[in-house]
Amino acid sequence: MVVEALKLIREVEEEGRKRLEEAKESVARILKAADEEMKGLTEKAREEVKRIAAEIAARYAKEGEREAEMIKKAAEAEAGKLKATAASNLEIAVNLVLEKMFGLR
Amino acid sequence: MVHMGTNEIVEKIKGEANAEYERMISEANENAKKKLEEVRKELELQKKRFIEADERKGVEEKERMIRAARQHARKLKWMVEEEMIEKAFEAAMKRIKEVKRAGFKGKSYQNILAGLIMDGTRSIAAEGSEAAELEVLLSEEDVAYLNHSLLKEIANKISQDNGVKLQLSLSDERVKSAGGVIVRRKDGKIEVNHTFEQRMARFSTGLREDIVKTLFSRR
Repeated sequence: MVVEALKLIREVEEEGRKRLEEAKESVARILKAADEEMKGLTEKAREEVKRIAAEIAARYAKEGEREAEMIKKAAEAEAGKLKATAASNLEIAVNLVLEKMFGLR
Repeated sequence: MVHMGTNEIVEKIKGEANAEYERMISEANENAKKKLEEVRKELELQKKRFIEADERKGVEEKERMIRAARQHARKLKWMVEEEMIEKAFEAAMKRIKEVKRAGFKGKSYQNILAGLIMDGTRSIAAEGSEAAELEVLLSEEDVAYLNHSLLKEIANKISQDNGVKLQLSLSDERVKSAGGVIVRRKDGKIEVNHTFEQRMARFSTGLREDIVKTLFSRR
């Protein structure tokens, strides 16, 4: 009877040891799954940052192009006006040059 | 002393093993959850920093584009100014022939030359010598506009005005110029160059400013 009791206890101890082994394996699986999830999150975040960076760059480039184009158009219009003004004043300017050239001014 | 039966011992061992199992799993889950939370927070922070940096880069790029456009605009304006100043100079040089033929603002070309000779002679007379022999150099084309009596008249007037004795004659030497004169002492020590090209070069800076004001003022 004592022998049977000891045998039973040893069996239960063995079950307990197996249970702990199972626990260790489960812990390893849980940690591995967490690691995988972290890697996934990191990769996803990297992709998202990359996408956002491209969006930001494109947005500012577009804004820059738009404003630069406006400045360019305004400058061209201004240049046209300046040319027209200068053309209408050219005769006066030529007379000014001649006056200075001839010592009359 | 408390004695346990076999069943009690078995249950105790089972209970302890189960409790340890539960504790280990629970702790692992807790750790995993905590680590994931930390990673999420860190990634959010990094994302925020990257976006801020990208925003700064974007603004800089936009400002660079605007600066370049403004620079281009300034260059365009400068080019128009230069083009029109050049046109004014070219047109003035072309008009000289017409002035030689028809005069300018009621003055004949001979009068204009006389004025320049007078100015050059006065400048040399102002240098202080009591008597001086001066000569006038002209281009081949302009010789026809000058005569001995005009030179004598100018010399007499300045001699009287300045209390000096001046003699003015036409040099045999010719200058290559669109017009104007060179007045110089016969010993070559003093010379006043009033050729149009030299006058333009001399007055260039101030004259360009005046031309710009004239050309681009809205009337």
